[in-house]
Amino acid sequence: MTDLRSEPASAQAHEIILRFEDGVEKRITVAAGEYVLDAALRQEIALVHQCRSGSCSTCVAQMMDGDLRMDPSRAHSLIPAEIVQGRRLLCSTLAHADSSVRLDYPSDLLEEAGPKLFSATVEDAAMVSDTVVRLVLKAPRGIDFAYHSGQYVRVKVPGTDQWRSYSMASLPRDLPKLEFLIRLILGGAMSEYLTARCEPGDEIEVEGPLGAFILRESPAPHVFVAGGTGVAPIISMLDSIRRRSGVKPPMLLSFGCASDSQFFYRDEVELRAAWMPQLRLRLSADRVEDPASGLVQGNPVQVLTPEDAADPDTVAYLCGPPPMIEAARRRLNELGVDPEHIYAEQFVAS
Amino acid sequence: MGVGARKVAAKAVSPHREYEPYLEAKWGLKNHWYPAAFTHEVPDKLVKGVMIAGHEIALRRGKGGKVYALADRCAHRGVRISKKSMCLTDEHLTCWYHGFTYGLEDGVLKTILASPDDAQIGKTRIRTYPTHEKNGMIWVFVGDEDFKPVPPLTSDLPMRVPKEYDPNPVAFILDDNTFVRGIHRTGDSNWRLAVENGFDPGHVLIHYDNVFIAATDRKLALGWQPKSPEAVEVIDLPEGPKGIMNRYDPHLNLYNYINENAVTGMKVYGKQEYYVRTSMWVPGVLLVEHWPVTNWAQYEFYVPIDDTHHEYWEIIVGHCNSEEDRKEAEFKYTNFFEPLGLLEFNNRDLFAREAMQDFYEKMDGWNQEQLCKLDAVVVGWRKLAARFNRGIQAPPPGADRKD
Repeated sequence: MTDLRSEPASAQAHEIILRFEDGVEKRITVAAGEYVLDAALRQEIALVHQCRSGSCSTCVAQMMDGDLRMDPSRAHSLIPAEIVQGRRLLCSTLAHADSSVRLDYPSDLLEEAGPKLFSATVEDAAMVSDTVVRLVLKAPRGIDFAYHSGQYVRVKVPGTDQWRSYSMASLPRDLPKLEFLIRLILGGAMSEYLTARCEPGDEIEVEGPLGAFILRESPAPHVFVAGGTGVAPIISMLDSIRRRSGVKPPMLLSFGCASDSQFFYRDEVELRAAWMPQLRLRLSADRVEDPASGLVQGNPVQVLTPEDAADPDTVAYLCGPPPMIEAARRRLNELGVDPEHIYAEQFVAS
Repeated sequence: MGVGARKVAAKAVSPHREYEPYLEAKWGLKNHWYPAAFTHEVPDKLVKGVMIAGHEIALRRGKGGKVYALADRCAHRGVRISKKSMCLTDEHLTCWYHGFTYGLEDGVLKTILASPDDAQIGKTRIRTYPTHEKNGMIWVFVGDEDFKPVPPLTSDLPMRVPKEYDPNPVAFILDDNTFVRGIHRTGDSNWRLAVENGFDPGHVLIHYDNVFIAATDRKLALGWQPKSPEAVEVIDLPEGPKGIMNRYDPHLNLYNYINENAVTGMKVYGKQEYYVRTSMWVPGVLLVEHWPVTNWAQYEFYVPIDDTHHEYWEIIVGHCNSEEDRKEAEFKYTNFFEPLGLLEFNNRDLFAREAMQDFYEKMDGWNQEQLCKLDAVVVGWRKLAARFNRGIQAPPPGADRKD
């Protein structure tokens, strides 16, 4: 390890080893002052990323050894605990020594389905609660579009130049159908479109698939934590598990909404539990107005118990707003879940 | 729909969705045990080919008579190995075409008769299936090769009837000292229609004028109508069988026995009150207790072959503790149970399920059917199968039909 105090940051090029989940290793050279992600792309190695500005967390990686630091001149979305654990956002990471990082997706993830830009058609838009719309799009025939359960696409709000990101709630096998759950936000561009203008047959620009939040194979217990419309990619994952071969793992879905009156998709998640005896549900709401609702008071992280993560090999999938993800990571760490077995996708309502 | 997202009813789930996986199971449930052949159908030196849930399977005896099951498609040119038996050793399965010879234990290519130094040897293989043989029946665990651990056969059979369900329990098909005989034949309907016919409490009408019923003067109702939810019991044994039982037990009095119909004047003529109990078990196994006569049992298996055919297995099971018992059982089986029961009586069932096939296959029957008060147990079965299957079999790659 070099003495960091005496050496100016990134004064020279370093070699970085990228270790993918499937065991494949790739080596890149990162020039002085160059971000790791930029270096990889320059050397034609596809890495999962989106915003390239330190915000979206899509390009997160785990430092295994060496010295990689987040660019101090740039704001980013990692919390200090994650930095200490060695988490790095490669789009904003500088190399201070030869290093290696582990990426929690297979090396061929992007090769098999690079993002595509296409125009889809609105098939249906339905209010599933007072605040959530289920939007069903139909992709055009003949496009080379595939994805993994858990991934998302960007969608251009019709009549605007604004883009939004939504995870698919449907399965790849349901293509050309794409199903999304969209929370309505007062004054939001997509919300305005969905409530006031949307009609079947409308054309919508779509780009994707994006994201590395994908289901892994593991026989260990699975804990899914979903806040609000964060349940969308989790539904897709549960349906994937139901259909894939092999023995199903024990599963817990902790799903919460702001209040019982805003709780949505209860029938849908209860169906999954009816179809899979391995799946337990814990449904919660921050505000329970009607005790007969049967919802647990609290958020989907608070209601987790030590028994839920009793198996040290437990894997966890989190999807919800950033504070929920942070709280869930902390709580699961406390309960003994290996941070490397926690996969997350955060979203910001807009 | 107007402009903007439409409002949907709070309860948006249709009843069909509660058993959606069952509706997907056109080709059967995978990762379950199914009967594949009778012991006598797989003699030494024969390769017996069967198809279960789209899986083409070759059965062959090896060392010590043990039955092995392997994929019935040669890796070389894809012919069915069972098309012509070529049995050279008791450790190998040899394809009759170019002599690709696979190990019975592991399916690995051990040699090629026509090309013994071939680079393929040791590298390629065909898949194998777990088997079990008992009481004259051969069972195969059909599904994903990587499904581990393979659950016990008993988890895919009706439960062994406990004393609290019947002070004189009928025999269990896998027990020693048990008489097990039967037939199997191919039915031209999807396996699910066969299951649903098998224990539907309204279907007894099709047996109304059957020679067996008339000859025994049995009082078989026009229909058995459940009076309350308790009439149907779901049985979920941990790590064990999952089933649904019609509690026809006389002392429970949970059914109305419909013996006449006022509008048409029709009525049943039999005088002998008679008690049976039926239950259906995942992946599609019927147990009829005390049938065809008291203290005997009839098991039925509706084994999916493809999406429009099932193999209908009808097995008579009884206690058999001595050579004398066996002789008597053979006599009754040969001269009564098989001709009058398995054939004469159950031909009506086969007729009924084949009659349903067109509607469900071609006319969207699963959505168009109009169920009635008799059908609670049918829907109960669908939910049970949707929940406790170990996987839904996808159509095989070669299936021409679009699913």
